[in-house]
Amino acid sequence: MSKRYDIVIIGSGVIGSSIAYHLSESQQEEVLVIDKGFPLSGTSGSTQAWVWVHSKAPASYGELSMFSAELYPILEKKIGDVEYKRTGGISPFFSESEREKALMLAEKQATVGIPIEVLSQEEVLSREPALSPNIVGATYSPIDGNVNPFRLVELFIRAAKKNNVEFSFYTSVTSILKKNGLFEIETEKGGKYTAKKIIFAGGPWMKELASLIDIKVPVKQVRGQILITEPLTNLIKHTIAGMRQADNGEVLIGYSLEEVGYDRRTTLDIIQNTAQMAIDYIPSLANANIVRAFSGIRVIPEDELPIIGEIPNVENAYISVMHSGITLSPIIGTLMAELLLHGDTSIDLQQYSLSRFDK
Amino acid sequence: MEKSTIVCRCEEINIDEIEIAIKNGAQEFDDIKRLTRCGMGTCQSKICMNLVRKIISEKLNKPLGEIAPSKMRMPLKVTRLSALTKNIDLCIEEKATLEEGEQTSV
Repeated sequence: MSKRYDIVIIGSGVIGSSIAYHLSESQQEEVLVIDKGFPLSGTSGSTQAWVWVHSKAPASYGELSMFSAELYPILEKKIGDVEYKRTGGISPFFSESEREKALMLAEKQATVGIPIEVLSQEEVLSREPALSPNIVGATYSPIDGNVNPFRLVELFIRAAKKNNVEFSFYTSVTSILKKNGLFEIETEKGGKYTAKKIIFAGGPWMKELASLIDIKVPVKQVRGQILITEPLTNLIKHTIAGMRQADNGEVLIGYSLEEVGYDRRTTLDIIQNTAQMAIDYIPSLANANIVRAFSGIRVIPEDELPIIGEIPNVENAYISVMHSGITLSPIIGTLMAELLLHGDTSIDLQQYSLSRFDK
Repeated sequence: MEKSTIVCRCEEINIDEIEIAIKNGAQEFDDIKRLTRCGMGTCQSKICMNLVRKIISEKLNKPLGEIAPSKMRMPLKVTRLSALTKNIDLCIEEKATLEEGEQTSV
């Protein structure tokens, strides 16, 4: 006998877990979350976890990111301390020729209400004295920040469990069939589940997952490598495009992007470039000790924008896949819960539909 | 053993926290690490790894050999950031700050 659920979510990363939690708030539906691994073993556990808004383009995508950042303090009231800090974000530039681009960005983002200041060198250094005097300016926005991704995912899951959501970890889905309007899901462990509605939240593994229902999802895998320092006394106040300092004093550094499939190794060339970048930005980091390098596989849809909403031609199947899952998880959870429970969303998601790739 | 017995000295994680993580479904060292920070500190699990593997082995009733060790990553030992760059000038500057008696030939 297979166990019946109203909604099955595949993927328990930051997006799947957030959707599960937000669905569970109404306690109307029986929800199961299935993950092939353990929470935080994939993308959501290998990130600097910026809540980053100000340079997201086009402006409408920046606006969605801003709405999500604005939800964080409320979310924290509901699920507990996720070490969210609205630090403000600084994105430095090293050549005067970039100032014009920065001013254009500020103008575009202002149309949706994202506050950006283009700072002079003096202003950058007075806000963040550890930055290099080789920096000539920066864009700055008070809306950016960061969060502890481990606590975030764990507390989404804990809050969802409290509202009776069930989770099954180390459970790989092997087949999904639609019969009589219900999804029949089979797992490697021999589990059988049926669901009225199904949500795909597989991150970088979305291509393989969606192929189970013969759907093509145009995403690529991108590796990012990050260095971590020993705990340091307060060095960086802001989230800087490229690095941030955690509550415990560790500085996380990295901005690399490589298309190497699912290969999660760390490599010497990227470690060297990252170390150099750290010193170019913050010269005093030269004397900091590095305890570890790590890497994560991120997902980037082909046009770099999130894919959210109903899956065309498969009734009651939904998708949520995006690069900036940490930034967007509060708003995505909220909107997906609206979509599944009420059939409509308070923010129009048409531009993020999977169907845009058919054109 | 006392529940408060420290297993990970760098991050001060006790047995109780590790057992709770296992109760929540953790099966490997790295599962526990991401939930508790056990093994995430300066020593990078060199001290706690086998203690934790033993606890997992006992709780899940699996042979110790089946419990995967933590994933070790470069630089393996705490390393000055400037030593990780390709920039030779920085390395020289570094050398100049050493006490005379500590200088070594390259």
